[in-house]
Amino acid sequence: MRGIPTVLITVSPEVSAQMRPPRALYPKGFKVGNSLGRPGMRELQRRVLRDALLLLKENTRPGSFVTREYPEYGEQYEPPRVRNK
Amino acid sequence: MTTLSRKCVPFTPFDGELSRATVAVVTAGGVHLKDQEPFNISDELGDLTFRVIPADVDSSQLMVTHHHYDHSDADEDINVVFPLDVLRDLQREDFIRDIAKKHIGYMGYTMQLKAMYEGTAPEIANEIDRGSRADVVVLTGG
Repeated sequence: MRGIPTVLITVSPEVSAQMRPPRALYPKGFKVGNSLGRPGMRELQRRVLRDALLLLKENTRPGSFVTREYPEYGEQYEPPRVRNK
Repeated sequence: MTTLSRKCVPFTPFDGELSRATVAVVTAGGVHLKDQEPFNISDELGDLTFRVIPADVDSSQLMVTHHHYDHSDADEDINVVFPLDVLRDLQREDFIRDIAKKHIGYMGYTMQLKAMYEGTAPEIANEIDRGSRADVVVLTGG
């Protein structure tokens, strides 16, 4: 099997990092269940998905998490933490 | 199968152009078609199965079965965890070339990590590799 490039969109970067994904986008302050943004916010959802796909074209170090801010999301949330670390 | 060191990060570079790429979505958010068998949320060990979601599905036919995150927003707009309509937008604006024939939903909660890692994950990779013709995969959680 050949490898397939992947990009993860995660709202729980600390939890996701345990699985060592090749590259990941963390939309800062999004709550769990809102990986792409809030319901109906299609332009925001498009921005997040474009930014995630564009990470594939950046020369990121394997395992990097890139944090991006999207003020239009509104109220911000703290990401879940890894327990018993 | 190849076993990776605990510290190794598997990495496949992307050498192509996004405007020529076919994109698949694999979500751990418990997404499936309404007429597919729901994930088993009564088993405390989790559910190791996955569902294949065809590219031409109407997103109103998708739902979430997952008991480890609040999916009320996804119930309202599945694109917040499974951005199939968003991908369609990006295809219309020629940001990507095509949408893969197959996408995958599974329930990203398990107490059987070894079975998930050695069984489910390579099966999903095979499904994508052989059946979807994807150049690129977007992964999402809840």
